[in-house]
Amino acid sequence: MTARGVLKTLSPLFACIGLLCVWQVASLRLDTESFPTALEAIKAIPSILGDKGSLLNILDSIRRMAIGLVLAVMFSIPLGLLMGRIKAVASFFNPLMMIIYPVPKAALMPIIMLWMGVGDVSKILVIFLGVSLPIIYHAFQGSKAVEEKMLWSGAAMGMSAPMRMLRIVLPAALPEILTGCRTGLVLALITMITSEMIARQSGAGNILFNSLDMAQYDTVFAMILIIGAMGIVFDAAFEKLRLSLVRWSQPRDDMPLSFT
Amino acid sequence: MQVVSLRSDAHAESDPLSGRKPASAMIEIEHVSQRFQTSGKQSHLALSDINLTIEDGAFVSILGPSGCGKSTLLYIVGGFVQPTDGVAKVKGKAITGPGPDRGPVFQEFALFPWKNVLGNVMYGLRQQGVKKAEAEARGRKLLEMVGLKGYENFYPKELSGGMKQRVAIARTLAYDPAVLLMDEPFGALDAHTRTRLQNDLLDIWDRQRKTVLFVTHSVEEAVYLSDKVIVMSRSPGSIKEIVDIDLPRPRKRADLLLDARFQKYIVDIEKMIDDGGKDDL
Ligand SMILES: Nc1ncnc2c1ncn2[C@@H]1O[C@H](COP(=O)(O)OP(=O)(O)OP(=O)(O)O)[C@@H](O)[C@H]1O
Ligand SMILES: [Mg+2]
Repeated sequence: MTARGVLKTLSPLFACIGLLCVWQVASLRLDTESFPTALEAIKAIPSILGDKGSLLNILDSIRRMAIGLVLAVMFSIPLGLLMGRIKAVASFFNPLMMIIYPVPKAALMPIIMLWMGVGDVSKILVIFLGVSLPIIYHAFQGSKAVEEKMLWSGAAMGMSAPMRMLRIVLPAALPEILTGCRTGLVLALITMITSEMIARQSGAGNILFNSLDMAQYDTVFAMILIIGAMGIVFDAAFEKLRLSLVRWSQPRDDMPLSFT
Repeated sequence: MQVVSLRSDAHAESDPLSGRKPASAMIEIEHVSQRFQTSGKQSHLALSDINLTIEDGAFVSILGPSGCGKSTLLYIVGGFVQPTDGVAKVKGKAITGPGPDRGPVFQEFALFPWKNVLGNVMYGLRQQGVKKAEAEARGRKLLEMVGLKGYENFYPKELSGGMKQRVAIARTLAYDPAVLLMDEPFGALDAHTRTRLQNDLLDIWDRQRKTVLFVTHSVEEAVYLSDKVIVMSRSPGSIKEIVDIDLPRPRKRADLLLDARFQKYIVDIEKMIDDGGKDDL
């Protein structure tokens, strides 16, 4: 790797360190109890992660988030792809989506809790709702943009309509779908925390707001760091997966050319 | 002149006197018209009352100005577009949709960008359940034929226009359709590759006796390759003349270029395209 390359891979790390430094200085200057220094917050992390109860809470959150996300992906991709290829499906779901789109999904939480209780089901449902729309939208756009001649080529090879959907529309729309999934992943994290903030029972969001109630500010900020780190790790891991899946659609420069 | 004027009804019928059936028709196009809805409430007549019979094993080229409906006619035979009026038949049966008996090579290539070159060429065979090793062997052979040996692992994004065109041709040849529907397949090629592929196509056609419907803008190419050249005119798209090319086969380009009959066909057809088509490009 060149010096430039090293710099490029390390730049997010520098950004993090810079941010923490600014935090540290600002907190020292302000010197209020509700704004602990970065070091204090970092010092509080091991005690949270070391505590079995807290750790189980956080893992519970991740489990709910994963279930909501996977369900949303399984529902949204087929729906979006169908909307992109079949006019009737699009004209049925498009107005529906336009109504649902601007509603903050977390705002539905109280009603959902009323109907389904404060347990996992409600929280997973809210995550599902929060994540679905961007994935549906991107799958729809990707599917609509599939070149018709590509489908004609498939039809001439004897592929049935469902086969063309699965083996032409899906791969052709994959780059767009994965862009939607990336947005969905971050939204899942956000909705997960929000849902736990409303339905206080367990989870990472619950730890955060409980410690806020008890004025344990270093724990509050430590939790924010943990959740933020989770977001960064999930996003980076997904980005790696995404790039490996859609290498073929990247511009020429990004791809090593080789004669083999 | 060898010009055969357009028959009012191109339907092939058996000769009642001799009782002998004429060479069997592969494709019959009867009173086909195609109207497209354009923006607003207007419509555009892209094809008007096309009648055409293409015999089994014939090589037929279509010439005509841009926008005269050549691609549209090919799509109708391919079953991708249903004509507004009339019927198109293949082997006597009305065409209701695409099928592996008619292989298209599109003007826009339409390669699968997520598959590499070899994957594209193998695709049709794999869909039809051919074993991987067999499909791969056939794919490699075809790629060698179109001059793309060594590019098996390239993705369509990494290919030039001419290379994409050759992959598209190989992809369609791979599943061995009885009818080839080729829409300006050599349009983006350099003169050298073009000549080579013309000869390869003639070779394949000769050996496998495919029926070829071939759209081109090059009069010379049409005369060189075809048994029949169809000259179309625009607004509305219709058949202007059908010219039988009565040149011996197998044809050698070097011989033909010196052949006065070959030259005369070219000049005659160029005149037809020019006539009343001054504003047509
Ligand atoms: N889907 C469509 N909707 C509306 N009009 C269309 C459509 N497809 C083709 N047309 C019109 O039909 C006419 C014939 O188009 P076509 O593509 O068949 O021409 P072409 O002879 O293949 O031209 P070129 O040589 O430029 O490829 C054109 O005027 C075009 O605008
Ligand atoms: Mg065309």
